[in-house]
Amino acid sequence: MNTVLLRRRIIDILTLVFAMAATAFGLFWLVWILFTTFVQGLQALNLDLFTEMTPPPGGEGGLLNAFYGSAMMILLAVLIGTPIGIAAGTYLAEHGRNTKLASTVRFINDILLSAPSIVIGLFVYELAVRTIGHFSGYAGALALAIILIPIIVRTSEESLRLVPNQMREAGFALGLPRWKLTSQIIYKSAMSGLVTGILLGLARISGETAPLLFTALNNQFWNPDLSGPMANVPVVIFQYAMSPYDSWHALAWAGALVLTVFVLTLGLLVRFLARKRSSR
Amino acid sequence: MTEIPVQSAVETTPFTGTASGQPIKIDIRNLDFYYGKTRALKSVNLPIAAGQVTAIIGPSGCGKSTLLRTLNRIYELYPEQRAEGEVLVDGDNILDRNYSLTRLRRRVGMVFQKPTPFASSIRNNVGFALNFFERMSRSEAEDRIENALRQAALWDEVKDKLNASALSLSGGQQQRLCIARTIAIRPEIILLDEPTSALDPIATAKIEELIHELSQSFTIVIVTHNMQQAGRVSEQTAFFHLGELVEFGQTSSIFTNPTETRTKDYITGRYG
Repeated sequence: MNTVLLRRRIIDILTLVFAMAATAFGLFWLVWILFTTFVQGLQALNLDLFTEMTPPPGGEGGLLNAFYGSAMMILLAVLIGTPIGIAAGTYLAEHGRNTKLASTVRFINDILLSAPSIVIGLFVYELAVRTIGHFSGYAGALALAIILIPIIVRTSEESLRLVPNQMREAGFALGLPRWKLTSQIIYKSAMSGLVTGILLGLARISGETAPLLFTALNNQFWNPDLSGPMANVPVVIFQYAMSPYDSWHALAWAGALVLTVFVLTLGLLVRFLARKRSSR
Repeated sequence: MTEIPVQSAVETTPFTGTASGQPIKIDIRNLDFYYGKTRALKSVNLPIAAGQVTAIIGPSGCGKSTLLRTLNRIYELYPEQRAEGEVLVDGDNILDRNYSLTRLRRRVGMVFQKPTPFASSIRNNVGFALNFFERMSRSEAEDRIENALRQAALWDEVKDKLNASALSLSGGQQQRLCIARTIAIRPEIILLDEPTSALDPIATAKIEELIHELSQSFTIVIVTHNMQQAGRVSEQTAFFHLGELVEFGQTSSIFTNPTETRTKDYITGRYG
């Protein structure tokens, strides 16, 4: 064989081997993490997990109050963050586009997007917890909403921009005003993208621990009231995993498993929606 | 290129009537159009006859779509585009900033090159603007929707699936749906921007037939790069080249006996 060809063939094989090895290296850790979470989590998984409160040190119990607290705070964060995020995304995609204000907002949003979540936790601690005087579920939801908003701003702007301009021209050519066009035509066309963005944001905030440490803290007991300290899954996992008690370790693993499955399900849902969108 | 005296036929009879003797619906006077600093239309004067089909032809980039986009001011979506001059619709200068865009776009409908159905049901596509502009009962709206779909020669194909997504229709049906949507709000003028360029020959034939029907009730301006189409559907033809109106007159005479060499060269396929 020609030496040039031979050299190319060798380089080709080496590159391929390297790429495969890199992929395997990345996947290895992911599989290991998932495997450990599932093995340890499944051992600890039982019905008590969803019916019992967090136990005292060393005792048996469940995570009901933590699941409830997480659900409430995430829900509230989504309720706060979605309208603000979509409204800002709409401004950037539909109204501002190339204005100076829009590019400034975009820049600041990018900074917020990559801001360490612990900084946001500290910020809300100063803003809400210190002024009110105690930790609360509301403060936790606020911190989560602040993390959520830039994600939704970005994803909603992107999905609105994917709606072809012809659609806007067609709407305007019918004499429709912009608000009508945006709210009833553009949103509809971008729906799966908007929902995807919300789900991605939801997945992101459901694992956040640092901001909740400063805001919702934790609660050993059942507390349906968002104005007091609230139990939540990530902080419980954090505290229980660091504890010396085996029963707490087991609960931490079970909580981690539930959280992981939840986020994975959201991820699958996002993929499903994205596929639906591209097939249209 | 040297300045060629343009549109002699028009200049000798300025603005009093069209080549066909019909009353003027749209009177374009000294229209200039700019994309930023680029001048895309150069002092265009063109009277468009009421109740007729006027075709605008010319090679790519000659400004034919630009002209159409001026007539409903859709170009205003893009801040760097602007028009200078006058466009009189029944005597009102619609380029005037004070002329309401909503009013203008109710009077002047537009159908685009690619079908643009909204991601909604067939019924909603037609009823959407209708319900926005006019307060009417449900049954009245249903009647208007049916009428528009009938006029657009689509009713028989969709009457059993008005709640189906408009996106499930074929390209030709989508384009007729866009026409139905446009005529549902009862405009006076319909602008068609290469309405068949994305369609197959059969769908094209249907649309052309439809254009003929619609010209009974509306003034139609159609941009096309298909000269045979211009010959088939229009009563009058305007030929544009490099932003200038080169020649304007009865379609029959433009195609059989053009006065300008550029028109002749284009029509006989010397460039384009």
